[in-house]
Amino acid sequence: MIRLEQIQRRYVSDEVETTALRDIDLAVSAGEFLAVMGPSGCGKSTLLNTLGTVDRPTSGRYLFGDQDLAAMGEKALARFRGAMLGFVFQSFNLIDELTIEENVALGLAYRANGGDRRTRVSQAMDKVGIAHRARHFPHQLSGGQQQRAAIARAIVGDPKLILADEPTGNLDTANGEQVMNILQALNEEGATIVMVTHSPSHADMARRRIDMLDGRIVASAMRAI
Amino acid sequence: MNRFALLSLYRSLTRHKLYATLNVGGLAVGIAVFLVLGLYARFETSYEKWLPRHDRVYVAQTVWNLPESPFNGAYPYTMGGLLEQLREDFPGVVGTRIRGGRNGGTVIRGGVATSADIAQVDASFFDVFDLPMVRGSGSALRQPANVLISETLARRYFGTSDPIGQTLTIAVDKAVNYRVAGVFRDLPANSDFRISVLVPLPAAPPSEQWFHWGSSSLQTFLRFDTPQAARAFEQKLPPFVDRRGLADMGKDASRIQQIKLLPLTRMHLEPAGSESASAKITVVTLAIVGLLTLLVAIVNYVNLATARANVRAREVAMRKVLGADRLALVRQFLGEAVLTVGVAALLGLILAELSLPLVNAAGGLSLTIPYALVVPALMALTLVVGLLAGFYPALLLSRYPAASVLASARSPGGGRVGTRVREGLVVLQFGLAIAFMVGTAVLVAQTRHVRQSDLGFQREGLMMLLSTRDSLVGADRTRMIAAAIRELPSVRSAAIGNNAAGGSGEDNADNVPLPGVAGDGPSLRWIITGPDFFKVYGARVLAGRVFDAAHRDDDALARDMASGINIVINRQAVSTLGFRSPQEAIGKTVGGKRPRTIIGVVEDMRFFSPRQPNSATYYVYYSQPEKAFTAVVSIRYTGDPRVTMDALRTIWQRSVPQVPFEAATADTQLTKFYEADDRATRLFAIGAGLAVLIGCVGLWGLASYNTQMRIREIGIRKTLGASSADIARLLVGQFLRPVLLANLVAWPLAFVAMRTWLTGFDDHVALSPLFFIGGTAAATVIAVLTVLGQSLRASRAAPAWALRHE
Repeated sequence: MIRLEQIQRRYVSDEVETTALRDIDLAVSAGEFLAVMGPSGCGKSTLLNTLGTVDRPTSGRYLFGDQDLAAMGEKALARFRGAMLGFVFQSFNLIDELTIEENVALGLAYRANGGDRRTRVSQAMDKVGIAHRARHFPHQLSGGQQQRAAIARAIVGDPKLILADEPTGNLDTANGEQVMNILQALNEEGATIVMVTHSPSHADMARRRIDMLDGRIVASAMRAI
Repeated sequence: MNRFALLSLYRSLTRHKLYATLNVGGLAVGIAVFLVLGLYARFETSYEKWLPRHDRVYVAQTVWNLPESPFNGAYPYTMGGLLEQLREDFPGVVGTRIRGGRNGGTVIRGGVATSADIAQVDASFFDVFDLPMVRGSGSALRQPANVLISETLARRYFGTSDPIGQTLTIAVDKAVNYRVAGVFRDLPANSDFRISVLVPLPAAPPSEQWFHWGSSSLQTFLRFDTPQAARAFEQKLPPFVDRRGLADMGKDASRIQQIKLLPLTRMHLEPAGSESASAKITVVTLAIVGLLTLLVAIVNYVNLATARANVRAREVAMRKVLGADRLALVRQFLGEAVLTVGVAALLGLILAELSLPLVNAAGGLSLTIPYALVVPALMALTLVVGLLAGFYPALLLSRYPAASVLASARSPGGGRVGTRVREGLVVLQFGLAIAFMVGTAVLVAQTRHVRQSDLGFQREGLMMLLSTRDSLVGADRTRMIAAAIRELPSVRSAAIGNNAAGGSGEDNADNVPLPGVAGDGPSLRWIITGPDFFKVYGARVLAGRVFDAAHRDDDALARDMASGINIVINRQAVSTLGFRSPQEAIGKTVGGKRPRTIIGVVEDMRFFSPRQPNSATYYVYYSQPEKAFTAVVSIRYTGDPRVTMDALRTIWQRSVPQVPFEAATADTQLTKFYEADDRATRLFAIGAGLAVLIGCVGLWGLASYNTQMRIREIGIRKTLGASSADIARLLVGQFLRPVLLANLVAWPLAFVAMRTWLTGFDDHVALSPLFFIGGTAAATVIAVLTVLGQSLRASRAAPAWALRHE
C-alpha cells in the first residue's frame, strides 16, 4: 500500500545542516502494524511525519497506493490527510476549548463527505470507551482518557493509515496497556498502523518492527506468529 | 520591584520589540491626541480668564423676542447710551462700554491711514477691566485727550524712545490728536477683545442712535462683586426696560427686548442670536474625541498587556516557586505597568510637542504646552492608567497555581473569561473607531456641501469693496468710486447695497404687518439695493420683476413712507407673509401704515452663515444707494481677482488715502463662515484617524498573540486535513465577529452625535445609511487586512513544526 523510495530529509538552520532521514526504503502493506524504534533523534518522528505528509522529504518518492504524494500540492495533501490518515500524538493535542465530542468531530470537519457525522462520532467514542465523557473538556480527563479521545478522533474518519507518535509516552503502565489494546484491536479489524515507540514490550505487540539509528533503518524484524 | 524585575521588564520590552512598539506606541499616540485636544479645549474655555477679577465682570446682552424675527436671540451688544441710563436709574452701578475693537478706527501718521484695533471706553474702564499696565496708570483715561496703547504698538510707533507724552492722531468718527499717557500689556490670544489702543469715549454722543432703544452699537460691561448681586440686579431690569424703552418700543417693551447679564468668561462660546451653539458643540466634541482616543489607547494597552501576561505565566510560576508571595507579584506587575505607561506618557508628550505646529496650522490655533500644568497631570495620568492597566494582568497572573503551570507543557490561556474580556475590549475599541469613521465622513460631506451648495447667487467672480463703509468716505466719493470701478476693463458690473455676500454690511429687520391680521406682523430682514444689484449677483427671478431704473416708482428715496414703496422679496418671505406661491405675492401690498408693494420674488440669496437659519428678506431700491448709512460695493469681474483688486486699490488711493483700503472676494468673505467648521473637521479627522490607527494596532497585536497561542491548534487542524485557506478563514472569522459586533456600539453612537451636529446647519446633508455602511465596510476591510497577513503566515506554517512548538 505504501512505498518509500530513497527518502532523504535534511534540515538547514543557520549554518548547521542536519540529515534526519537517509536513503529510506520502506514498504508498508495494508493491514500491517509496524513499530518504529530507536534512540532519541534517530529520525523516528521525521519518518512518521513524512508518512503523514506533514513534513516533506528533501528528495525521494512517496507512493500511497498508486498516488505519488511527493508531486501533490499543499491543498491536495490537506485533503489527502483528511480522507486517508489518522494521527495520534504523545501529548494528545486535543483542543482545550472544545469538548471531547467536538474534538472527535473535528476529525470529520475537513472531509468532503463525512456521512452521518453524529453516528460516526459516537461509534468512534464507543470503540475507545470514552462516550460517557463526551461533554467534558480535555483538562477534566485523565491522560489515558485524553489519549483514547485522541484515538477516537484519529479513527472517526475511517482512515486507511493510523500514525501514532509514542502514543503511550505520557501514560502510566495501566493506561498504556489500555491504549495498546485498542490499537491492536483496531489492527485486527483491518486498520494499517505505523507507531513510534520507546517501549520494547509495546513494540512487540506490533507485527513488524524496524529499528532506526542516525536516520537509517538498521534492522527489520517480523513477529513470529 | 527588585533589580531582576526591572531587568526582566527591560528585556521583555527589547526582546519583543514589536509588542513593545505597539503597546507603548499606541498608548503614546493616544496620550498625544488627548493632550493636544485637551489643550485645545482648555484654550477655548479659558477666554478672558487671564483678566484679574474676571469672575466679577458681566456683559450686558440684548435679548430679542420678536415674532418670527431673523434676529431673535441674545447678542452681547447694547445701545450706546444704556450705561448712562442705568447709572441714572441705579446709582452706584459700576460699568464701562467698549466701542470699536478690531479695526475700530485708524491711526494717521504722515498723512497715511492704517487700520488699528481702537476701542473707545468709559473713564471707568479700569474699574471693570483691570488690564495689567506697563507704563502709566488706567486713571489717565479720565482726561479726554489721553490715549493708552499696547506694548506692541508702542514699539512699532516709537521704537526704543519713550512713548509717554508723544502725540498720536487717531480717527474713529473724526481725526483727533491724543497724548500717549500709558502702555498696557498686550492682550493674550485667549481673548475676544482685539484692543491695542484705548481712547476715552467722547462726552457728546457720537451718533444720533445713541439713546435709541432697539439699536445696538457697542458692548456694555458691568461689575458685580458676587453672582447673587448680579442676579438681583438682572431682576430689576425688565421694569427698567419697560420704563426707558416706552418711547421707542411701545408699551411692555420688555416683552420684545430684555437685558440679561452673561458672565464674561462665557461670552466666547455663547452663540449670538439665532446661530446654533456651534462653538460649544465643537469644543465639547473635540474634548470627547480626545477622551475617547485616550480610552481606546488604554483599552488597547490593557488588552495587549493581559494577552502578553499569559505568555509570562511561566515566569510568574517560577518566581512563586522561588518564594515571591502574591503581593510581591502584584506589586511587580503594577510597577511594570506604571513604568511602561510612564515611558508612553513621555513619548506622548514629545509627540504632542512635535505635532503641535502641525495641529496649529490645521486648526488655525496657537497652542503651546504649559509644562507646569501638563507634567503633573501626565504623572497623575501615568499613575491612574498604569494601575488600571496593570491591575487585571497582575491579579490574573498572580492567581495561577504555580505547580500546574510548571508541570504542564504550555501556558494557561486565561480561560474563557480572559477571552471574553479581550473580545469585549476589541468590540469597544472598534465600535469607537467605526463611530469616528462615520463621524469623519459626515463632517467632511457637510463641510463640502456647505462650500458647494447653491447660495442663490454666483459666488465665483464676485468681489466686494468694503472700505466704503467708513463714514469718512461720504456718499459723493462712494458714487465716484463706484463709477470708476464700472469703467475697469475686467469689471462687468458693480452695484451698491447696504449689505453683500458674506454679510459685511448693515443688518436690519423690520416688522411687516399683514392686511387683515392683528398685531405687528412677522419681522423680516431688509436690504437696500442700488441699480444693477440683482444683476451683479445673478439672482434668479421666480415671479414678477426686479427693480428697474426706468420705473420711477421703484425708488424708495423718492417716495414718502405713507404713500408706500415697492419691494422685492425672497422665496422664504413668500410663506412668511402668508402667500401660497411667488406668483400670488406679486402686486400685493403689505406693511400696514408703511405700505410695501411686492413687485417681484427672487430665489433666496444666502449672504450669511450657513449656521444661521435662512431668513425671510425684502429688498428696497435706492436710485442713489450710496446715501444709505452703510454702503458696500459688490463687483462682478472676470479673470484674475488680483488684477481687479489692484485696480480697486489704485482707484481707492487716488480718492480717499486717509481711509484704509479693504476689499475681498466673495470666496474669502464666505470662508469666514466655514473656517470654524473646517478647523473642527480637520481636528476631528486627525483625532479620529489616530484613534482608528490605535484600534488597528491593537487588533493587530491581539491577532498576532492569538495566532501564536493557536499554533498548536492550527497544526492539529492541518493534520486533520485543513487547508491553508481553511485556517486563514478560521482566524479571520474569529476577529470579524467582534468587529461586526462593534457596529452595534458604533451606529447608534454615530447616529445620535451626527444628527445633533447636523441640526446646527440650516442647510445640511441627509444622514444617509451609506455613511454607516461605508464606516462598517472600511472597518471590516481594515480588520481583515490587519489580521489576514498573520493568518496566512500561520496557516502556511508546516504542521509538523506547529505540533512540536510547545
